[in-house]
Amino acid sequence: MGSSNLDNGVRALRDEHDHMTQQALAEAVGVSRQTIIAIEQGRYSPSLEVAMKIARAFGEPVERVFWFAQS
Amino acid sequence: MTNLSFHEKSAIGTLIATWIIGIFYFHSAWELWQAGQLHPASNFGLAAGLTVLLVIVLVAYHILIAVTGKPEEEDERDRLIAWRAGRIGGFVLGFGVVGIVVQILIGGMLDDPLAGSPVLIANALMAVVFIATIVELVLTLVFYRRGI
Repeated sequence: MGSSNLDNGVRALRDEHDHMTQQALAEAVGVSRQTIIAIEQGRYSPSLEVAMKIARAFGEPVERVFWFAQS
Repeated sequence: MTNLSFHEKSAIGTLIATWIIGIFYFHSAWELWQAGQLHPASNFGLAAGLTVLLVIVLVAYHILIAVTGKPEEEDERDRLIAWRAGRIGGFVLGFGVVGIVVQILIGGMLDDPLAGSPVLIANALMAVVFIATIVELVLTLVFYRRGI
């Protein structure tokens, strides 16, 4: 519980995209800001649909946003 | 509480109100039982009165948190947390009810008068519902804070 096998670059990609706010990303994706925070902190692995929407919001392939953590 | 979502605030308030009113109810019922005054009518009055109080407190609390912060629409994480916490709470409820049924049947076989007491059975069922609700709410908060 609470651990994820996925790492992500959501925070870095927000910074790359004119410091997009968590709220703006949340609205683009259709989730709450708290869910974006949980994803960035690795407390929640989103569904494929939300992962694809996040990638689309950044204009990036999904594997640039999410990848398996090195064990 | 500014970083908490509406759903987390809802769970916190519901947990606190349910805990306080539930403990007050069971404490009062226990004292009535000790005094030999826990009859169906008095028990019903106590339970109904505190249930109405709980509903009023929760409605007022939810109006307050909705006014002070715009409620977000439920998303997939909220639904997943509600489902997982509810599932475990449901297991607790199920095991508790089965335990009470077994207790009634065994008590009946042994001619235990307590096993046939409607008031005690009702309170045992209410205790199981109370515990299952508390478990569900605590897990909801744990899942929101620690992740799922």
